[in-house]
Amino acid sequence: MTMAKGWFKSTGVVALSICALAGSARAADPGCIVLQNIAEVEQASTDAKGVKTVKLVPAVKVVPGDTVIYTLKFRNTCDKPAEKVSVDNPVPEHMAYVAGSAVGPNTEISFSIDGGYKFDKAEALRKKDSDGTERAARPNEYTNIRWVMNHPLAAGAEGYARFRAVLE
Amino acid sequence: MTRLQLALAGCLVLFVSRMSLAAGTAAGTSIQNTAQVTYTVGGSQVTTPSNTNAITVAERLDVNVTLQSGPVSVQGGQVRRELVLRVTNTGNGDEAFQLAMTSVIGGDNFDPTPSSPAIYFDTDASGTLTAGDTAYVPGTNDPLLVPDAFVTVLVVNDIPTGLANGAIGRSRLSAQAKTGTGTPGTVFAGLGTGGVDAVVGSSGASSNATGEYVVSDVSLSNVKSATVLDPFGGTEPVPGARITYQILVNATGTGSAANAVIDDAIPANTTFVPGSLRLNAVALSDATDADAGEFIPGANPGVRVHLGNLAAAAGTQTVLFQVTIN
Repeated sequence: MTMAKGWFKSTGVVALSICALAGSARAADPGCIVLQNIAEVEQASTDAKGVKTVKLVPAVKVVPGDTVIYTLKFRNTCDKPAEKVSVDNPVPEHMAYVAGSAVGPNTEISFSIDGGYKFDKAEALRKKDSDGTERAARPNEYTNIRWVMNHPLAAGAEGYARFRAVLE
Repeated sequence: MTRLQLALAGCLVLFVSRMSLAAGTAAGTSIQNTAQVTYTVGGSQVTTPSNTNAITVAERLDVNVTLQSGPVSVQGGQVRRELVLRVTNTGNGDEAFQLAMTSVIGGDNFDPTPSSPAIYFDTDASGTLTAGDTAYVPGTNDPLLVPDAFVTVLVVNDIPTGLANGAIGRSRLSAQAKTGTGTPGTVFAGLGTGGVDAVVGSSGASSNATGEYVVSDVSLSNVKSATVLDPFGGTEPVPGARITYQILVNATGTGSAANAVIDDAIPANTTFVPGSLRLNAVALSDATDADAGEFIPGANPGVRVHLGNLAAAAGTQTVLFQVTIN
């Protein structure tokens, strides 16, 4: 009886994390933090004086090989600080994470290569090839990115996390 | 329990569908992204998803034409000689391509004459023009290719007469995406697969490849024969018997074969008889030196005789060498 209960519990955890990766809808939570997810691409232009500028524009026309910049803006709308703030983003299907592109002020960044079950620093991720040899995981094998804030998010405060991915 | 397993199975399908083509993610695919934030307020943990943003993959227009046949040897006056080319859709959407050919190309020695029709699909995949191949009619049967797919195309020309031996004539096939071509990045709004935008890729949505015909009005034939002399004066192929090989080489036609070389392997279980190599009854040393022939030792021994630029006027060339049976 006790064993059966334990098995149920662990299966539940796995299902939850896998479904989180797939981005399945869940009941809206009237929580404190509002998370906004923005997809943009760089657009380079040169003005009449020959000055080159690059600006971010909404990702509308994306073809294989294009890089998309995902920005996750979060804001604490409550009058109490939020603690242990952690932002998770699965690398979207058909896209590959661009090495070294994840940034986020005051956050510790970790990655997963197993669909969000385990997270670790980029340099600590190891992958086993089919022949059994172990090697460093390649950035395009990352399945999830996690930003953990290293201090509470004060009432009314904002933050952001960002990464780049290339359309395969 | 049952619901839990169903949910698990349903979510796993998304992993399996993570596949990609060489041409890239298919046009029209929706790239969805949802993040989530987890935090603690007043001791209770809350998880909230972000909005889901979806990007529809646009069609990238790209094509690659490659030559599949090496230089094609032809003789003056031949008709319907084909070059084999391949048109590949290197874009990420279903695309039709318009084909065109030309044989008026600078830098060669003659212009092949396009046959009528001059472009065929290699319908029977034989690599040659046969009765089973379908002629290309622009605007009527433009090849429609899914991403990464290719079609093999034959470009067919007649060869003029009176050409010098070794003369080169070139012919070119070009393919253009029917949606449009232009500098990379040019956008055709709403004209891609399924109504998505189409964007010209690095190929400019246009590609071509050039093949060539080489006039070779000469052909070489050779006839090899062997005679055996055994140690007892008979003709039995027993160990110790000596075999004399004779190779007769003839050039026919109006041209000459440049730097013709005869290579012949020493058969297994036999040993080359040193000093036995002859060209037209003249002895050739075994060493690689100034004379026309040599013995090549090693794991796969053989003899080699250089016949130079051989024309029909030179008559029959006779190569002789001997081996003994081990």
